This record gives sequence, structure tokens and C-alpha cells, in this order.
Amino acid sequence: MTVVTRNLKPFEYFEPKTIAEATQFLSTHGAKAKVLAGGVDLIFRMRRRQIQPEYIVSLQSIPGLDYIRKDGENLKIGALTNLRTIELSPIIREDYSILAEAIHTIASIQVKNMGTAVGNLCIATPASDVAPPLFALGAKLRLIGLSGERIVPIEEFYLNVGQTILQPDEIVAEILIPNSSAKVRGAFLKLVRTATDIAKVNVAVTLTIEDNICRDAKVAVGSVAPTVFRAKKAEGILIGEKLKPEVVEEAAEAAAEEAKPITDLRSTAEYRREMVKVLVRRAIGKAQERGN
Amino acid sequence: MQKQIARFIINGRPYEVAIEPRMTLLELLRDELGLTGTKYSCGAGECGACTVLVEGKPVLSCLTLAIRVREKNILTIEGLAKGTDLHPIQKAFIEHGAIQCGFCTPGMILTAKALLDENPNPTKEEVKEYLAGNLCRCTGYVKIIEAVLAAAKAIREGK
Amino acid sequence: MKQEFSVIGKRFSQADGPAKATGAAKYTGDIKLPGMLIGKVLRSPYPHAKIKRIDKSKAEELPGVEAVITWEDTPKIPYASSFRDLPMAPSGSLQRADEYILADKARYVGDAIAAVAAVNEQVAEEALKLIEVEYEKLPFVILPREAIKPEAPKIHDYAENNVAVHLGYPLAEGDVEKGFQESDVVLEETFSVSKQVAGHLETQACIANVEPTGKITCYSPCQLPFPLRRELAKMFNLPEGMINVVSPFVGGSFGARLSVYNEPIAIALALKTRKPVKIEYTKEEDFTCVHTRTADEYTIKMGFKKDGTLHAMQIKVLTWSGAYLGRAQLAGAITLIWGMGHYRCPNRAGECKVVYCNTTPSAAMRGYGNPEIMWGVEQMMDMAAEKLGMDPLEIRLKNIKKAGEPSNFGLPIESTYLEDCIKAGAERIGWWEKRGRKEEGIKRRGIGMATMTHCSGAYPLLLEHSGAIVKFNEDGSVNLVVNPGSPGTHIWGALSQIAAEELGIHPEDIHIVTGETDKTLFDLGSHASRSTYVTGNAVLEAAKEAKRQLLERAAKMLEAPPEDLEVKDKRVYLKSAPEKGLSVSEVVRSAMWDMKGECLNIAGKSSFASKWTSPPTAAYFAEVEVDIETGEVKVLRFITAVDCGTAINPMTVEGQCEGGIQQGIGYALTEDFVINKETGVLESDNFTTYKMPTALDMPETEIIIINKPDPKGPFGAKGVGEPATVGVAPAIANAIYDAVGVRVLDLPVTPEKLLKALKEKQHGDSGRGD
Repeated sequence: MTVVTRNLKPFEYFEPKTIAEATQFLSTHGAKAKVLAGGVDLIFRMRRRQIQPEYIVSLQSIPGLDYIRKDGENLKIGALTNLRTIELSPIIREDYSILAEAIHTIASIQVKNMGTAVGNLCIATPASDVAPPLFALGAKLRLIGLSGERIVPIEEFYLNVGQTILQPDEIVAEILIPNSSAKVRGAFLKLVRTATDIAKVNVAVTLTIEDNICRDAKVAVGSVAPTVFRAKKAEGILIGEKLKPEVVEEAAEAAAEEAKPITDLRSTAEYRREMVKVLVRRAIGKAQERGN
Repeated sequence: MQKQIARFIINGRPYEVAIEPRMTLLELLRDELGLTGTKYSCGAGECGACTVLVEGKPVLSCLTLAIRVREKNILTIEGLAKGTDLHPIQKAFIEHGAIQCGFCTPGMILTAKALLDENPNPTKEEVKEYLAGNLCRCTGYVKIIEAVLAAAKAIREGK
Repeated sequence: MKQEFSVIGKRFSQADGPAKATGAAKYTGDIKLPGMLIGKVLRSPYPHAKIKRIDKSKAEELPGVEAVITWEDTPKIPYASSFRDLPMAPSGSLQRADEYILADKARYVGDAIAAVAAVNEQVAEEALKLIEVEYEKLPFVILPREAIKPEAPKIHDYAENNVAVHLGYPLAEGDVEKGFQESDVVLEETFSVSKQVAGHLETQACIANVEPTGKITCYSPCQLPFPLRRELAKMFNLPEGMINVVSPFVGGSFGARLSVYNEPIAIALALKTRKPVKIEYTKEEDFTCVHTRTADEYTIKMGFKKDGTLHAMQIKVLTWSGAYLGRAQLAGAITLIWGMGHYRCPNRAGECKVVYCNTTPSAAMRGYGNPEIMWGVEQMMDMAAEKLGMDPLEIRLKNIKKAGEPSNFGLPIESTYLEDCIKAGAERIGWWEKRGRKEEGIKRRGIGMATMTHCSGAYPLLLEHSGAIVKFNEDGSVNLVVNPGSPGTHIWGALSQIAAEELGIHPEDIHIVTGETDKTLFDLGSHASRSTYVTGNAVLEAAKEAKRQLLERAAKMLEAPPEDLEVKDKRVYLKSAPEKGLSVSEVVRSAMWDMKGECLNIAGKSSFASKWTSPPTAAYFAEVEVDIETGEVKVLRFITAVDCGTAINPMTVEGQCEGGIQQGIGYALTEDFVINKETGVLESDNFTTYKMPTALDMPETEIIIINKPDPKGPFGAKGVGEPATVGVAPAIANAIYDAVGVRVLDLPVTPEKLLKALKEKQHGDSGRGD
């Protein structure tokens, strides 16, 4: 259908003052309600009539959700922290640079001012630029619902395109990145048609290298499967080895094999699979060059 | 949902408007307040023609619900000049041929203002990066970038 | 002979700059009339379907709806969305009226089936949903090569095998078969070019208002206001004088706004409701319904002598039209004309077929066939150069035409400085230092070039006529009444400079009066890069007449012969005794307010139709970097060296060329009009999916203006709007070949295609990626 609508259809709007209020409201209205953070994705899809929620819950009046802080064993990012704040944050740039690097590739300053990292994650597009670096940093998410909260590793958060494990009454309240990931060497790479396009393929790699041996590796691949995924086979090839070119190449090929890319108007399955190999290889190389 | 009266601060002046939650900031500006300088183009967050500054930060008014920016300081293109005294960025755009059809111009100028408020001495690359979310189909961006750099210099020199 | 000008050649800012920079400039969508209704169109969800039944009763009953119209309610007079009666010989017979205001049958996804006028968009949207349409789906066809097959569904009753136009090359010469036999090297290749979207930011919009007298005011961004008026008059069976076309500011045109879009529907709704009706497209409607660049598949055969002389040339084009012809009906022939008219060649023949498909129509985007065909021609020239062991520059210099030779349109070339363009650009890009580097790494650089010839106005192919009025005010300023349309270029500035130069005043003393067919003289409008050359000459003639009257009047006052007078810096003075004179203001004031009754309105009027060919030429140079592992192409540097005669305003010329580079890079590398083969639905329907270069995707650019005057242009000027983009894509293609030795012949050259070509080359295949 040709989209002929410029404005939105009516809905009820609720601005809770606490997380508890928010989860209560969501529990009552279930699938008829959508959470509004930055709104870049939600409002766009509503305008095109792809989704038509009866209720919109805006979290912006809940105080204390906009933060980046070290807290015990984790660096924590609050649900309302926008992408631009994270991109410019000194602690993120210092210690978790691939997250800043990845957000930097989101070229529109306006989108970064409006969009939140948590919001981006909850859209659950496999082409997210925020998810792969968080996968590679071993991030966890704190989910809060009516009955309590749970912390899940980010790689357990996604089920399918547009689908997460979030229950109707739950929101993601914060992102936690373990201290063990601080200052880890890593790289984020992505392929796009023009600077403001959604990724054809994006890859985030972190490496822990001691005495020339790779002790840990996380290879997160986006845009080539229903969800972002960790290329575990590839990681297995790297861990315990000296990262010689043959080893890196084998890992890159393994990552490409694990991908399930599709052909769409941005790219072809064949190209995407090949580029997983190229980007993983290059990201490993770049990560090796960095760090202490 | 019933319309409710909401208060907006636009270009330094207060406005009380009856709004519905579904109304975007862009609609509020153009249809309710007759401030048509902010443009509706793609409605998808891709072109930046609807850019306004909210608390000094460039955002896309076509994807912002008006209800969310109550009581916030909003700057539209109409609020930049002081009477007939154009802002240095506006002057630079005119002098350097950075305006052709003019449709992207309000969004470009406001985004450029936010850049120069944040970074008074940007490099050419930094200007390009900051303007990446503003599309232009007429100029190829060349004279726009030139104008922003010239405006930066003029502002630094107190012109 | 270099002339010293007062205002020609200066980098004046545009008078409308402040309005645009402050948001005060009003575009069609910004205009609100009292009591105005919002119109919306019900669009076919199917690419090809009969309309069995429409029931609009529920929609009509919805509160807030003031009119619902269907095919039944609108005049059954078919129209040509690209306007009838523009062409001259030989294409005159081609203009076919094949569209109705609301479709009699759905011929593409997006076709207008019904329309409503309501108090606001919400009610209009509801009303559209309440219109019940019973469709009978028909088989559909997307690609031209499918559409011409005998088993393809018929889209228009009259068009056998969906062929709307089948023509030979109108300027054929010599004997191509013999020519190929006589050639030492013969090359033949097939190329395909895509439906590029104009991509103007302002969505298509219009407002129609009916006065109590029945006179219709139509606010439209159409580039050709007078032809629009005429077509609307035909459609609604009204005299032209009962329609006034108003042109607000326009947010970019690029040829897409040459056609009729929502105007007839808005008028039909306004006639029914007797209230103003505005229809504003969404960006999705723009992509779906606004005419794109014409796409083609074509085969070029070229024969060369071993010294590089082009001896024979043949082009066969299959032109992708769309559901309705629009400008595509001329596109096939004009593509042949550009392709075979650029170089000197004694044996030329060609053929074009323009084909209906169930898609968005094609039209005349910037260059109108020239970018499309030079994509192939300029790559063939490089291929020939390689085969002959020549430098690509040499093979161009050998075959480009000189002044006096017949142009692409057949008339003698008034001026050409293409050789200057080639030499200047080659030197600036570092042609001899940087070409043929044969690099080894993952990123490889290359340099490539292309050339072209275009037109300044379309005489003798299309009607040429512009008019202007120059009238003096008592303060010595001038009202310049013109209507070249409002395409979004700086044409009014150029016209002001032309008038100011002739009248010895400053462009700031020129007030432009424009924007309404009621208030201006006939002007064809903006297309074919005609405005500076044709409207500019009309302005010059009107200015000359106004100046003549001014000097004649001043002569009486100064008691001197008019031949002895000159006007400069707003002052009329004796050439022989410059201290003796009067201000222009004094002359005009005394003539306007002559108390003795010998009054005079000092004003000049013109009707100008050009009768010559002053084709602009250009050479384009690209430096690219190819990543051989990803197939990505980065354009590092781009230089356009342009011969557009005298540059009336160099800043404007640069601006056009810089914008043309952006469009050419998108055309070459990233812009892809993607239609779903199963449903006929357009997938790339917004800027999110259709990717045009952003500020970050642009290379370093440089524009070299040769600035040598043309004998017939106003102060020597030629057109530049379309030349700005014609040769950008093939220059990039040739640079890619220099970098990595492969070509992709179908647009866009995506990394996916290029990588495939690179791999095939590695394995010893053609290296073409197709």
C-alpha cells in the first residue's frame, strides 16, 4: 500500500512517575501499549500505520533514569540515556570504546539526541549498531516488571526479528557492562550504502590477549541473522591460540558460516556472508592493534 | 483522549495550545502556530528538514510528540534572526551560495547552530559529520560546509 | 575578446536568500487559504487491475467529508501528463494523451482511483478507508523486456506489445553497416540504467481554488506554468484565461516537476466543494507517483579507425516508460540524439522502443536521456582507447566537434570549448601522474573521465518561447516581469544580472515580478537548461527596448541625439561629455508624471524564441578508491570543467555543478529504485531505503568554469543546469576501471556487483559482474 498519511492516529498517553507505575500500566494494557523512549522508530512506524498502539507510555518523567556510572562490578547505563550522551561520555570512550565507536557510525546527530541505547535494543532489529558492541562487551540487561526484576545476558534477550523475552509488563531499566570488559581491546566495523543507512553487516569484536595468546574473544555479528549473535565457533577457534593470520582467517570463515543472511534491497545474502568473513577478519586485526 | 492545554516556549515566547497526544511537534509548529519555516519532507527521520533545537539540541520534530516538549525551550528558524539582523550563520549561507531551493536550509542552519554552540572551531570533517543527518539535493553540500566554516570564523571574531 | 562587465560574472547573493534563511519563504505546502480542505487520494494497491465497482456512499456520509470523487465524477478527457504541443518536428506526432484525472483502470501500485476532500487529514484518511473498491486483478509486468513479449498483459488498449513509441534515430546519416565494415575496431556492449528518483526534499503539493466567477487558481510547483495552464484548460474544457497558475517557492525540481500530478484532482475537488483544496503528497507518494528518470536497456555499437577516429555508430534503446507515458514518450528518441550527437561520426543509425510497464512513470530528470546514454558511450570510448592503445583523452580530442559543425540537434554549433574543458580538468586531477598506477594493496585508486554535450533550450526539437517585461519605476529601479517557473535554481538572480548589465543599474535595483501566469508573459518554463539562454535573451531584448525608450526620452531632455547617450550606474550621460547627464530616476519620474500630458511608461516587452544551438559542454574527472575485498567505491575527488559560455554568476554555476556531482554519484553507486517482483509494490519508498549521498559521502570537488562567451547567448551565456550532472557517473565508471580493471555495466554499481566482477576477473571471466 502506498503510504498517504502524514500524521498519527489518536492514542492515549500516559507519563508514569515511577517504574512501578509504568509496569503496572503495561501489565493492564498488554500488547495495546507501547513504551516510548526516543521515539525515532516507534513514531515512524506509527506514521506509516505499521503499528497502531492504543496507549503510549512515556518514561521521560521517571527521574533518575539518565545516567552512566560505575557501580560496584558494573558500568551502568540508564534507560533514558541517549545515544549522543553515550557517544561523548569520557568513561565510555576511555574504557568501553567500541560502544562509542559503534554509536559514532550512526551518522545522524538528531537521531542520537533523541534515541536511547535501551530503546534501540528494544526495537530488536538485528541491524542495531548498539547491540553488537554490547554483545562483545558481555553486557547484561536489568528487566523490571510487576513482580520484580531479573538480569539477563544480552545474548539471551533476543528471540527473533522484533522479538525479545520482555514480558508485557516489563521494561529494560538499565544496561550493565561488567568491569572485566573495561579497557578490553576491540573494534566495531560496519558496511553501509551511504553514511545514514542501516547496516548491511556489522561486527563487534573484543579480545583479551596475554603473553601473545588470546585468552578470551567475543565476536558479535549483526544484520545477517534474525538476531545479533555471538559467533561461538569463531570464538572457539581464537581462544587459546596465537592470533596468526591463518587462525584469524579460520575464525572469520567460521563466523561467516554461522550467519543466516538474507537478500533484500540493501544487499544480497551471498555478499553479506562474504562480508562477515571480511569484517570479522578486519575487526580482529584492528582489535589486535589496539589496547595495551 | 481529550484535547488538553499545554504550554510551549518557542523562540523565547510562551504559547498555550490545545493539543492531543498524537500531535507531533512539527504539526504544532506548522499547523497550529503557523510557523511554516520548519519543513515536512520525509516523515521518517532521514532528511533532517524538520530539525528544530530543543534545549539547544537538534531533534527531528516530525518524530517528536508535542506533549513531550512542554515547557522546554524550542528554537525554530523563525527565532534565529533578531528582527532584521540575521544570525551570522544565516548571513554566511546567503553570502556563500549555500542556499538553492531553500527547503533544507532551515534544518541545516539550526543543525549548524547547534554544532557551533558545541564546537566553535570545527574542522571540515567535523562539519560534515554533524550535518550528515540533513539531506540536500541541490547544493552537493559544498557551499553549505563552506558557509558553516565561514560563520564559525565570523562568530569567533565577534562579527 | 574579453568584455569588461559591470555585474555579469560577479558572485552576487540571491535576493530571496533572506526569505529562505529565515523560514519566511512560502512553498506550496506552507500556504493556507481560508476554508481550505485537505484532499487525499485513494491509490491502487495492485499493479494492474480492472475497477469493477466503486461504492463511495459510506465515505460521503462521514462527518467532515465534503466531496468524494471517482472516475464517474471527472471529465473523461484524457491528458498528457507531460503536456501536448510542446514538440516541434519531427516528434510532434508522439504526444499522446493517455491519462485520466482518476484512473479508468489501475495500471500501477499508486494509481489514483478516487479522492476525497475533508476538513482535516484524519477525516480524509477515514474516508479513504470507507470507499469500497472491487478490483479484478490482472497479470502485470514490471520490466520492459518482459512487457514487449507477445504474452505480456496489455496495459493500454492502443499499444501493441505495450510499445508506445517505435522510432528510428531522427538524424541518421551515412551507412552504418558499411561503416562498421570499414572500421578497424568494432565494439558492441549492452548497458542498463536505472530509474533514478529526483529526490527533491519538498513533497509534491498543490492547492486549487475556484472563484465565484468560475476562474480557477492553481498553486503548483510545476516547472512549466503556462503549459500546465493549457493542459488543465483542455482537461476541464475551459478557456486558458479562466485558469491562473501560481508558482510559490519550490523545494527542488530536477525535471520531476515537469509533469501534471495532483493538480487535476485538486481542481475537481475544488469544483465540487467550491472551497480551496490542498493535496500534499507524503514522501512515499513522491517516490511512488512522481516521475523518475527514464530507465533504459541499450546496445551501443561503435566502429573506429585505427587512428581513433569514430567511423560508425549505432544505438538501440529499450526505454522503460511506466504506467503512463509522461515525458518518456520523447525519451527514447532524445536518448539517441544525445548519444549519437556528441561526437563527430559520419555513419549513424539507431532505434528506440518506448514501452509501457506497470510501474511508476518515467520522465525527464535532469539531463533527460543524456546521463542515461553517456553512461554507455563514455565507457565505450575508454574501451576503444584501450583496444587502440590510445590515451582516453586523445580519443576524445580526436572526435569532439568544433564550432560550426552540426550539433546533436542538427544545427550548427554556435560555440564549444570542450577541448579547454578536457585539458583543464586533466591537468587539475593529475591525469598523467595518477593514471594507470597498477596498485597492489587492498585499496586501489584510479582516475577516469567523461565528456558530454547538452543543449541550451531545446530548439528545434521542442517549442521555444519566452517573454519578459522590463519597466522602470520612478526611483530608477526596474520591475522585471518574467516567469521561467520556480524550479529552485537561482534563475531570477541571473536574469536580474542580465537586465542590470544592459540597463546600467545594479541587480539590487531589479524587482522580480513572477509566479503567476495571469501577471506574466508566456514563458515555456524551466527545462532543457533553457532559462539562462532563452528567458535570459528575452530579458535582454526587453531590457534593450526599455533602454531605447529611456535614452530616447533622455535625449529630448538633454537635447542630444540618443546615439550619443549611454546609461551606467543609474545615470544617463553624453558619451562625448560625461559630466552632462541626468539620473535615470529623473528621466523616468518626469516621463511618468509629465504635467504637460506627454506621458510615457518607459517599458520594454519581448517575445523571444531561440533559433540557434549553443550547446554547453563539459568534461568530468573522478578519482576513486576501490576496496577490492568489499567492492566499495569511495569517490575521493571530483572535478567538473564546464563550458557554459559566460558564467553570469560563477557562484551559481558552481552550485549547480556541485549539486550535479551529488546526484551523479548517487546515480552511479547507491540509488536503486527497487520494485517487489511479486507484488509490484515499490520497496524503496522513502529516503530510508533509497539512498542519496549525504555530506559525509561527498568527495573533494572542484569546478572549473571555462567562461568563454557564446555568440548567441545573453552576454555569451549558455545553459548549465543539466550539464552539471550528465557525465558524472561514467567518469566514475572509468575511474573504477583504471583502479581495478573491471566494469559493471548496469546501474547502480553496487559493491555487491563490483565484488562479483572482481572475483570473475580473478577467475578469468569477463569481469563484468552481470
